[in-house]
Amino acid sequence: MTRTFGFLGFMIAAVLLRGAQAADLQVPKQVVAGNAFSIPTSGSGEASFYLQGPGSASKRKVQLGNAIEVAEEETRDAGRYIATVCSSDGCNGADFFVTASGPAHLSFLVHPSRVPVATNDAITATAFVFDKFHNLVLQPVKVEFRVSLKDAPEVARAETTSNGVAWMSMNSSHKGGLAQVTASSGDILEKRVVQQVPSDACNLRIRAVRTGKFINVETDPVRDCSGNPVPDGTIVSITQVTDKGKTTVDTPIKRGVAKAQLPEAGNATISVASGVAIGNEVRVGGAQ
Amino acid sequence: MKTLLGLGIIIITLVLVGLQWVNSGGLTQHEIRSAGNPTEAIEALMQDVQAKNWDRAYARLANTNDIEKPAFIRDLAGSYGSLRTYSSLDSFDVWPLRATADQAKLRVNMHWSTAIGPIDDVRDLNVEQKGGNWKVDWPVPKFNDVPPQVVPVNYLRWDIINRGPEDVWGEQNVDSPQVKIISMNPVERPDRLIILGEIENEDTVPAYVNVNATLLDQNQNPLSQEGSFDKISHTLLPKQVSPYRIDFPGVKLSQVKSVRMDSKAMLIPASADPVIEVAGQQIASDPLGKRILKGQLINQSGQVVNIAQALAAFYDANGKVIWVSDGYVDQALLPQTPVSFAVDLPDDVAKRVQNSHITVNHYSVNNNS
Amino acid sequence: MRKISPRLCVLLALAAGAFGFLPMAHAADALPQVRLNADKIAPRPIEELTGNNIVRDYSLAWQSLAEAMDQNRAELLDAYFTGFAKDRFSSTVADQKKNGLRTRYIDHGHNVQAFFYSPNGDAMQLRDTAQLEIQLFDGSKMIRQENVTLHYLVIMTPGADRWEVRSLEAVPNF
Repeated sequence: MTRTFGFLGFMIAAVLLRGAQAADLQVPKQVVAGNAFSIPTSGSGEASFYLQGPGSASKRKVQLGNAIEVAEEETRDAGRYIATVCSSDGCNGADFFVTASGPAHLSFLVHPSRVPVATNDAITATAFVFDKFHNLVLQPVKVEFRVSLKDAPEVARAETTSNGVAWMSMNSSHKGGLAQVTASSGDILEKRVVQQVPSDACNLRIRAVRTGKFINVETDPVRDCSGNPVPDGTIVSITQVTDKGKTTVDTPIKRGVAKAQLPEAGNATISVASGVAIGNEVRVGGAQ
Repeated sequence: MKTLLGLGIIIITLVLVGLQWVNSGGLTQHEIRSAGNPTEAIEALMQDVQAKNWDRAYARLANTNDIEKPAFIRDLAGSYGSLRTYSSLDSFDVWPLRATADQAKLRVNMHWSTAIGPIDDVRDLNVEQKGGNWKVDWPVPKFNDVPPQVVPVNYLRWDIINRGPEDVWGEQNVDSPQVKIISMNPVERPDRLIILGEIENEDTVPAYVNVNATLLDQNQNPLSQEGSFDKISHTLLPKQVSPYRIDFPGVKLSQVKSVRMDSKAMLIPASADPVIEVAGQQIASDPLGKRILKGQLINQSGQVVNIAQALAAFYDANGKVIWVSDGYVDQALLPQTPVSFAVDLPDDVAKRVQNSHITVNHYSVNNNS
Repeated sequence: MRKISPRLCVLLALAAGAFGFLPMAHAADALPQVRLNADKIAPRPIEELTGNNIVRDYSLAWQSLAEAMDQNRAELLDAYFTGFAKDRFSSTVADQKKNGLRTRYIDHGHNVQAFFYSPNGDAMQLRDTAQLEIQLFDGSKMIRQENVTLHYLVIMTPGADRWEVRSLEAVPNF
């Protein structure tokens, strides 16, 4: 009899103790970022609740039998979360995923910041779509790219994101100047500026005039093959060859032309170059 | 007692007279009188220049009526923050050219130790005997005075505004300049392998460039890596081309399977001023018989260029870069004042040279660009 | 019975402790294994040197993440993390430190597929299937242990002399 009562007592104690143990956690498989939800619990007594996520790690006391409220601030970062409840009987846990909410930001990469005119696939643009919590939006989203230049037709192209990214490349126009490149998705708009710069000098020509002890050399307005003026500051090399030797001046373009004053030294051949572009030759003092 | 007193007075008098003799330059005179032949006269002068004892050096000149001491000192010690002002005479070689009983002509090669390495200065000096002493006829230096004037500066200047330190991904920034190595040629010399060529700033903004080369052996393993150091014009304005030269001492061409070139460029603030004309370029021989490309640098701006370096690229008949050499000018370039320069050219290379181009590197204290 | 000398006891205890610590030291120092497949990368082809650097830097990133989360030292993330990834993991480390928590990652390797390389070479996306053992500690008490296969979507961007992890997001599947 004693043994029976002892065994019964043991069983009752075991049931009571089991009642104090936490049950398995029930969590949603996926939660959209920034949304609150509840985790029901069973049993009784005090327990510790742990929530480990990509950007947070919290711990607080909870009462078993009551639902654990997970606030919207706790689910902002997309990724995998581990929820764990520990009581005197041990710990139970479950994991769930938080996914991005709707598009709110674009990270827009445009290259280069300067590009020569009339070049194929010169401008590349890549857009990553993020939600308001800076989570990558993995659902396909339409992104529209536009390139506009003053006095030139606008170019537009729509792409759909894959794994949160969309990209495109396009040719630079024949006209130099500041091109505005934009990426938009719904109400979100990002702008960048690409400077389309002239290419190498084309049809580089000089004139030479003897004035007293000097020869004044001046280029025609320096332009590239598309007619765009080569920017001021670009170096032009002017070379004079006589039987007494050679004289060179590396002079920058100012107001569209490059000038140099060379010493008068009898019959001279004067030539011009800029970068790898070579211009005409002028003979001074002999037949031109 | 009286004898001692008398002896003491005599000794004191002699000491005082001796001191007075030294103070009046008697010792100097004595030492000068000891230049017994033309070579000794020049050697003594050079030793005084080495010691920067200008008073004593000036006293060794025969033509002090023609040349003032400040001009003599300026000729040797430099001025206007030129390279010579950061130099000292390390050693010298003297050898006679011709001599008579009381006149001689000698050649002196002064080896100057400068902030950027050794520079030689070769001069032919006349020496004459006067009153038993040999004295040096120093060539009267000609310093051009720059007339006072206003020189407007309206060349282009570039300033850079970069993105701040906050990392906002995707935010626009200015790209580094586009530069391109437009030629690369290996040249084997008896004691080294040299990689030389040209690099161009293809962009519309100024660039600070550097070129490195890595030699790879037959198994594509790195054999040696070097940079162009100062054998390049580091600051390149838009469309400017600079030669470069990279030396690999002790390496043979047969050891090398391939070369990996690496050019780095970054945006820098710069100015298109000063413009420096390179006039009268011609290949000649220097007084020591070495082949050189010489000419004159003329600073067309209104500011002083303290230190200038001429960087020369030499081309063969096919337009290929076959040699690159450089020479620092140890005089400052005053505005509109021609200053001579020369760069070395090996004899065997000189025979194949069809064309050349000089680029001028410059440094001005008042302008950091 | 022969008495064991106290000195020998101390030596044996030290040796046992050393052996006990050895696996931990080995685990901390060993670089996580990363296998990279870039066969389907687009639109820009990947250079061999870049591929090697990605493997090296991604592996170092995981090693530094494990150390940061185990030792609660956010500065360990500076070398291989940037942008929001660095901000988030730093925030996790700060929370762990505040609450007396710690996470230990035992890394059993990563199978990584590189599938997007931007045309200008300034961003790369990877899919990482990682084999991890994750242990959560509250103080010295382990509250959870799991052996899992996780899927990560990764964005890496080039830094001054290395590739850095800009986004490391666990996803339910690819």
